[in-house]
Amino acid sequence: MIFDTQVRYVFFALIMFGMTCTALAHHSFAVYDHTRTLNLKGTVTKWQWSNPHAYLDIDVRDPNGVIKHYTLEGTSINMLQRVGWRSNMIKAGDQVKAVAAPLLNGEPGGLLLEITLANGEKRELPVPAANTFKRTADPE
Amino acid sequence: MYANMIRQLRTFGLVIILIACTAKFGLSAQQPSGNIPDITGSWERARDPSIPNPPQPPLKSQYLKEWQAQAQAAREASAKGQPIAERVVLCLPEGMPGMMAGPFPMEILQSKGQVTIIQEAYTQVRRILLDRQQKPVDDVEPGFYGYSVGHWDGGTLMADTIGIREDVRYQNVPHSKDIHIKERISLGPNGILRDEITIEDPTVLEKPWTFTYGYRRMPDYQLLEYICEDNREYADEKGLQKIRLDPAGR
Repeated sequence: MIFDTQVRYVFFALIMFGMTCTALAHHSFAVYDHTRTLNLKGTVTKWQWSNPHAYLDIDVRDPNGVIKHYTLEGTSINMLQRVGWRSNMIKAGDQVKAVAAPLLNGEPGGLLLEITLANGEKRELPVPAANTFKRTADPE
Repeated sequence: MYANMIRQLRTFGLVIILIACTAKFGLSAQQPSGNIPDITGSWERARDPSIPNPPQPPLKSQYLKEWQAQAQAAREASAKGQPIAERVVLCLPEGMPGMMAGPFPMEILQSKGQVTIIQEAYTQVRRILLDRQQKPVDDVEPGFYGYSVGHWDGGTLMADTIGIREDVRYQNVPHSKDIHIKERISLGPNGILRDEITIEDPTVLEKPWTFTYGYRRMPDYQLLEYICEDNREYADEKGLQKIRLDPAGR
């Protein structure tokens, strides 16, 4: 029985590994920094529910009151739907917290890894090989 | 005498009803029956330990060098954080045989005289026309999916595809207009559907290139729509993948 469960885990892990490898082949996330994440708190200006990927635009106010705009890339909306996301979960004006791997070129953009929605619900995105993005602790 | 007539009429009626039902539901040798497995439904890529990893394409030396150099350049560009834009960034579908590679689910439909495969990503569709003669390659307008014919050999669907556009490349492997894709699609006893794909192209390949994909059934999954729309990934003037930021954010 235990052996059965272990075999199942190994098989599942192999499938996930295979999926990850093939998923990576679709769209490259090499433009994003794998060594750190941004912890952004801001107001949604646009939630683009589209394929091949969704996009979240947010305005983030810095401690001096200056607003900086970020564009965050998500995954395919099909992958999002498969893990329970819906287009109406986010809308312009929502206050959200986002964890994103920043663009390596320094532009204000990133890969959205996790979001805390306006209702406080925290959701991870099904980013292939998400564990290869090293998280920076949120100072808050 | 009268009772006999009634019996004959009843038998005749039953035969008519049977013929009508057969015609109505299109029961034919090409749909699941006998040796032909029922593969209609949703499937997704799955690892089967008995399926070996795909070998490197057996390209002729001049093409192999070019392909390896391009692969190396792509790896280096990615390592620098400036990946070379793939065609999917331009909202172009993979075509054949890339659409069989996943990672999104696909749906197979078996109908009279045709097996249809729908790949969720980019809503790609290919049709395998059963029991038809393959055409001469020059009679087929090259496309993303080409022209496929096939037949059931026992429980194996033998598909034969020609007419793939030369710019539609699987794993960036070059091919000529004479590319020939032969598939053996079969359902294993473990429930894993296998597609053994052999690419023949004597212009660029030393020998046929064979690799196999495995798929597991998704009993409750219905394919979702997939339209590539307003993609903010784009290829810049150097062909590198970039993200269009929206400063206004609206």
